[in-house]
Amino acid sequence: MANQVNKLAYVDSKLGVSLPGQQTTRVIYDSINAAAGQQFYEFFTNFAGKSEFQTNLTTNKLDSAESMVIKSIQIIMNSTTSNLADHLNLNITVGNQVVLKDFDPSFNASSRGLAFDRLHSGFNDTKNLEVRLLTDIVIPPQVNFKATLQLSNALVALNDDITIVFKGYGRIFSAGNSF
Amino acid sequence: MSAQDKMITVANRLGLTSLKDMQGTTRMVYDSQTTASGTHTFFKGAAQRAFPLTNVGANGNQFQVDEALLVEKIGFFVPEAADGIAYGGLNTRSVKFDLVIGNKTVIKDATCEFGGEQAFYNDGTLGSSVIDLEGVGILIPPQVEYYVVAKVFSGTSRVADSVRLGCYLFGTGALLNFNTTI
Repeated sequence: MANQVNKLAYVDSKLGVSLPGQQTTRVIYDSINAAAGQQFYEFFTNFAGKSEFQTNLTTNKLDSAESMVIKSIQIIMNSTTSNLADHLNLNITVGNQVVLKDFDPSFNASSRGLAFDRLHSGFNDTKNLEVRLLTDIVIPPQVNFKATLQLSNALVALNDDITIVFKGYGRIFSAGNSF
Repeated sequence: MSAQDKMITVANRLGLTSLKDMQGTTRMVYDSQTTASGTHTFFKGAAQRAFPLTNVGANGNQFQVDEALLVEKIGFFVPEAADGIAYGGLNTRSVKFDLVIGNKTVIKDATCEFGGEQAFYNDGTLGSSVIDLEGVGILIPPQVEYYVVAKVFSGTSRVADSVRLGCYLFGTGALLNFNTTI
């Protein structure tokens, strides 16, 4: 597939999305307030009681005229006891399809000379990492998606926060006409 | 040739005509051994180990049907303790390694030199423990066993060393997608 724009248009057309929409750069995120010692987190499945800065979605699917390509994944940890530099296990599911499987993004945390993509490595930062994906992954309109993250350490304290951010190219609703 | 093109080309040569219809992804597998040694064999027998020592799962050192990995980077790390949770870079050590896929050695006597590739990347203050494969990469096809044999040595004095060690393979991947109802 030539590029992310073509891939998104291709997948959307396969799924019968007809409206052209407004091209955009899309960022979606979800944050979880942790329990002490919590090691397993499921993002984009529970939005109740979250502020606009904890999540910018209200349901775990994009709107009927919206879609996006995930190009990079950022994970942010607000904790004085835990970190993202120990082994992690990240899975992303779109619909019923696992699109990122048993992925360990921790190699991009800190500055140990181990990053997959050194332009996006966390410079001396063990609690904020980003991974740039090699393959475009499409979230089509109206399809459930979620991300699960397992920490290898159990050092998270009560009320620590973990946030996951998906960034990429997207399409948002544009009527193409006046109402 | 892009990574995706190479995957499809190699898969077609191997008769794996359905790989082109699978879910594209970014994939990495890693394995670690927490007993200090001068020589380590990674991924062989990894099905016996659990997260966080490895992420290969029950399939061990082969990918399941219609899953594959085009290896584009190989990195080595040093687990800090026997539990394998925390780890660091090679820290002045280098690693000589072979990558074997099926019965074929596809990378032979290569070294991942500590601090290599510094001119191209900014990775903080520590030297690199990763080697980028030249060309497009090397494909590990589905259901073929693979493993890495690695020997540790000092990157400066060039004498053998004995440490805990881990290895990751990173690149473009394919995940099984039935593309039909079952």
